[in-house]
Amino acid sequence: MTPLLAQTEAASGSAEFWVFIVIGAVALGSALSMVLLRNAVHAALMLVVNFFAIAVLYATLDAQFLAVAQIIVYAGAIVVLFLFVLMLLGVAGDQAFTGRIAGQKTTAVLLGLALFGVLAAGVAAPFLGEGTACNVPVEQRVDAEGPLCEGLAVANADGNVRGVGFLIFTDYVWPFEVTSVLLVVAAIGAIVLGKRREDPGELTDAPASAVPALRDDDDDEAASDEDAAEPAAAGASEDDEEGTR
Amino acid sequence: MTDLASDPTTVDLFALAPELSVVVAALLILLVELALTGERKRYVNLIGLVGVVAALAFTVALWADIGDGARAAFGNAFVVDAYALLFKGLFLSVALFVLLLSYRYFSEFRTYQGEYYVLLLGSFVGMMLMVSARDLVMLFVALELVSIPGFVMAGLRKFDLRSNEGALKFFVMGVLSAAILLFGMSVVYGVTGTTDLAGIAVALETGERLPLLLAAVLFVIVGFGFKISAVPFHFWAPDTYQGSPVPVTAFLSVASKAAGFAGLLQVTFVAFAPLADVWAPVLGVLAILTMSLGNLLALQQTNVVRLLAYSSIAHAGYMLVPFGVATATDAALNSDAFRAVLIYLIAYAVMNSGAFAAVTAVTRSQPSRLVADYAGLGRRSPGLAAALSIFLLSLGGVPPLVGIWAKFFVFSVAVEAGTAFGLVLAAAVVLNTVVAMFYYLAVVRTMWMDEPTVEEPVAPGKALGFAVGGLAVLTVVLFLGIGVFTDVAGVSTLVASG
Repeated sequence: MTPLLAQTEAASGSAEFWVFIVIGAVALGSALSMVLLRNAVHAALMLVVNFFAIAVLYATLDAQFLAVAQIIVYAGAIVVLFLFVLMLLGVAGDQAFTGRIAGQKTTAVLLGLALFGVLAAGVAAPFLGEGTACNVPVEQRVDAEGPLCEGLAVANADGNVRGVGFLIFTDYVWPFEVTSVLLVVAAIGAIVLGKRREDPGELTDAPASAVPALRDDDDDEAASDEDAAEPAAAGASEDDEEGTR
Repeated sequence: MTDLASDPTTVDLFALAPELSVVVAALLILLVELALTGERKRYVNLIGLVGVVAALAFTVALWADIGDGARAAFGNAFVVDAYALLFKGLFLSVALFVLLLSYRYFSEFRTYQGEYYVLLLGSFVGMMLMVSARDLVMLFVALELVSIPGFVMAGLRKFDLRSNEGALKFFVMGVLSAAILLFGMSVVYGVTGTTDLAGIAVALETGERLPLLLAAVLFVIVGFGFKISAVPFHFWAPDTYQGSPVPVTAFLSVASKAAGFAGLLQVTFVAFAPLADVWAPVLGVLAILTMSLGNLLALQQTNVVRLLAYSSIAHAGYMLVPFGVATATDAALNSDAFRAVLIYLIAYAVMNSGAFAAVTAVTRSQPSRLVADYAGLGRRSPGLAAALSIFLLSLGGVPPLVGIWAKFFVFSVAVEAGTAFGLVLAAAVVLNTVVAMFYYLAVVRTMWMDEPTVEEPVAPGKALGFAVGGLAVLTVVLFLGIGVFTDVAGVSTLVASG
């Protein structure tokens, strides 16, 4: 009997096992319906279900912090934002994707299945052979396997929330701080892209000479006012700006 | 690597000074722009320039300070060594150049000036953090800090459908590859139990080669392959380059690409070094595909920006060649391969920046950006035409310009490997160099031989003229002075220690 089967048999009596079976099915089903549903709002709602299911899986794995963060951040904030955007833009019932390349859909499905096969085999492989990967409880493990299987027990020794917090503010404090710069930049970018200009005239890169402007004579601007036309690519006009609104 | 601070919360402000000065400049711009009105908003450019120059000064000071050693902060998450400083110097010089290029463009563009400079500087901070990162998490955060402002800057010309298209393609491809990269990284962490690059190498050396791990390594390579626009992850590049404001295109094709290569160097030559026999052939094949496809498609372009876009894809291919010959055992060969990539990046940054600067100058009077617009440029503006010829010939690899050294080091490391695959790669480089000469020379011929369609000379303005002239001189001078970079002690310390 392979270790995987042995483990499964040992676990099959526990509540955790049944929770996994049920929630795993829910997660899988909601993920599939999210991809297959044609109505964008329904798909977004399925995404919420999926996020909740994943959160439950995290909780059964003793990662309470991650479970709560998953619900608050993903299910709570991000998907609700999706829904807001979808509702604001209005949903036109059937917005099916139609591929232009012949056989695109079939190829995509086949390649997707192939990738799934490779990954599934890859994930399962360490558990299928004798004595591979983390099939021995942490206490009984000889050190030879090194950092390969330090295990959840070690990470959660002081409690899950404390462990995560400790890591964020020690080992990963620098990436954590840099993320704040990233968020500032991303917020600025979102504002730039999302903002509507009050004055559409400002939104062309028309020749500066065509726009009333006060000019300083002491810099290189004075060199060539006539030549100041910027690359206004085809179709760059006020009409396009109106059209995109 | 010298002894690094074991406490991950140690802060070394001096080591962080270059990044901090750029961040401070970016935040100042945001504040000051509020107070300025109308035309005066363009002076925020100067704040950016001061910040970047200060960062360059700190980089030089750090270079003098560390000697052959290294400084570190936050444990291993931020390391300042010769490799990091060399790249920081490169990025900051490119930042200086892009700021010069942007000054006039965005003062005429008249909108989102402050935001543009903040995004630009934010992206450069990401690059500088990336080359100092010795940790997967930090590498990922830095990569996102490079990419996300890029998406927005590519879409800044909101009224232009082409810009919208380019930005959207860039964004979708970027997010997809980031997701793949992150998935790969999480598996690597799961298998090795550490996010530290050197630690991963140790774990990989001793651990078993799980199939999943090999897939994860490929995922990580895909993530960076997007950033360097290697075939088959290159689809976004031509459209994005064409739609973006020209200074942003210069930024994307030089700085952003160099950052991608820096990340790839760190991941492959340090973390995944023991698996070189897995990733080297993959990257080698990608190298051949990238340079061949890039050059063949460039042959058919009539738009100068698209031509340069495909040429920059082809150059990414040349730069991937040294990756293709890396091995898990031969440290000397790896060190040479590493150096070849570095030299190529430096040379490429100089000549490609120059080409984009010259193109910016011409598009000012002829916005259509067609190759035909360059007819008779030699008669209209001999200086500009000469400079552009220098850049194009250097990109093609003609002596006595710096481009030949870039190709030489790549070629010699491919031959040095001594394997059949190495020789195939070397042959591909030679063949592609010949093909590439066709389209570079075609533009040069148009400039000097054809009758001009318009008579008036091109007036690039002071900032742009200075950038073009300076880079042209640098392209020639670096041909003689490339030894400065080949002899830099400890440039390859990263490989040696990994």
